[in-house]
Amino acid sequence: MIAIICPAGYMPRERAQTCIDTLQQWGYAVNTGPTLGGASKNYFSGNDDDRLSDLQEALDDQDVKAILCGRGGYGLSRIIDRIDFSRFRQSPKWIIGYSDITVLHSHIEANFNIATLHAPMAAAFDDDGAEGPNVQSLRHALAGDKTAYTCPSHPFNRVGQVTAPLTGGNLALLAHLTGSSSAVGTEGKILFLEDVGEYLYNIDRMLRQLKRSGRLDRLAGLLLGSFSELKDTNRPFGATAEEIILDCIKEYDYPVAYGFPVGHDRTNVALKTSVPYELKVAAGQTSLTETVA
Amino acid sequence: MIGITCPAGNITMKEIQPAIQQIEGWGFHTKIGDTVGKKDFTFGGTDAERLADFQQMLDDPAVSAILCARGGYGAVHIVDGLNFSSLLQHPKWIIGFSDITVLLCHIHTNLHVASIHSKMCNSFPDDWSKAEPVQVASILSIRQALTGEKMQYTAPPLQYNRAGSAEGQLVGGNLKTIESLAGTVSDIDTAGKILFVEDTGEYLYSIDRMFWHLQRTGKLDRLAGLIIGGFKVRPDDPGEDFGRTLYDIVTDRVKPYNYPVCFNFPVGHQPENYALKYGVPHTLIVHPDQVNLTEK
Repeated sequence: MIAIICPAGYMPRERAQTCIDTLQQWGYAVNTGPTLGGASKNYFSGNDDDRLSDLQEALDDQDVKAILCGRGGYGLSRIIDRIDFSRFRQSPKWIIGYSDITVLHSHIEANFNIATLHAPMAAAFDDDGAEGPNVQSLRHALAGDKTAYTCPSHPFNRVGQVTAPLTGGNLALLAHLTGSSSAVGTEGKILFLEDVGEYLYNIDRMLRQLKRSGRLDRLAGLLLGSFSELKDTNRPFGATAEEIILDCIKEYDYPVAYGFPVGHDRTNVALKTSVPYELKVAAGQTSLTETVA
Repeated sequence: MIGITCPAGNITMKEIQPAIQQIEGWGFHTKIGDTVGKKDFTFGGTDAERLADFQQMLDDPAVSAILCARGGYGAVHIVDGLNFSSLLQHPKWIIGFSDITVLLCHIHTNLHVASIHSKMCNSFPDDWSKAEPVQVASILSIRQALTGEKMQYTAPPLQYNRAGSAEGQLVGGNLKTIESLAGTVSDIDTAGKILFVEDTGEYLYSIDRMFWHLQRTGKLDRLAGLIIGGFKVRPDDPGEDFGRTLYDIVTDRVKPYNYPVCFNFPVGHQPENYALKYGVPHTLIVHPDQVNLTEK
């Protein structure tokens, strides 16, 4: 059974209907929690206690094999320290989402090193999305398939090949978690980053925070997803997100690939955090392949 | 002598004229750094130029205070390259706020040297006769701090304040900037201190997230007192009503503790933004009828 809950922002139930129907067509039983399309009239899908108990119940229910977050928004930082992960640690299950759900991914990896699914959420199933590559990649991951992706090369790429566990998510959330018990270590890992709607100077500032907190210098590799809908100040910052990133990592020599299909833009494939992948950044293309254990 | 330099955003020579005139009118000489008038997109010169300019201000024994011309963004690009050994031998005031919070935090944590959180050159009015009285008073408070006066401030009594009294070093600054320093060598330890924060242009959800960040990084639980300065809140997007005010956000986060808390303190991105001596012990008294912050 797959549980659909909203641990952060509000989402009307009808926005998840295609997702529910599709999951059922795939053969899964679906259970929706009260935080999906609940009575909340504000930003959140319910108050902290409601969101916590819905998530807690899904974590503890032995029949629930995967928790699909309806949407992100903001809200996990408010409840993360109150979640009891003891049953989840005994019987791990997929936690699926991205954006604000990065808090869960990062916290779980940092504290328990249990794999999670950084992947599209319920709304991605709408608008014919269920047949598209994003949702199909989630379908394959849920079915237990190994995940493997390619993308075209980019002029800023740094070629190389490495096999290492994958970590990452939304840059703003990873920066926000720095210094807290949910901050994930990146040493020896392949880090992926994406973001949306940020000012360019803030992209720079957040990367500097990762760098100055020692989380860019000893990576195995770096994957850059989409940095979409970025904003600029009245006086232009003078560098693109791609250039900002390149400047931040120029002194390191690990492989780097831009244009990877993860983020808030059109492409956003399912990625397993804490799981080893082989990253090959070659002249012609980039590939990321989950290694066979 | 007071040195003027641009560790972050750029400014023109013309824009700093009101500040120069005023500061020289106070009886100080000024030394204008090479970065004034330089421009590398938003920055006041390249990283190397801003670093070199700030470094020579630190190293020049004739410079007794370094006034940052403006904030913006960019101090974090040079802070790790600065050599502070001459500051330790001959402490001098570093003056600024907003993005300059990077330098104030870094210097407090690593060098234990006091600094001044205040308005910068870009806030000196062109025409004093037309400036708001609180803006004039805010600018004049920089002179008071520089000339060694003990500082005293008041804030309005508010129903949201939490009464009490506290003593401790004054630390803080721009909230977003403080968050961006977490986990780095420039991060501040707030235990036993009076923390002040201000911010501008942030959504309420983002302000909420930053207060959670303060709590989750151990910066709220052992405070002596908390001062909330000005927050220019960015309105919620349509359909995204956060449903909580700044007062609600802060009150929720400090509920487990019992130190004094005050709101609407005159510090921030606003005309009323008095010079605060950063790292210097102060007494905070939050009383139902009045709020006082006094340098010890």
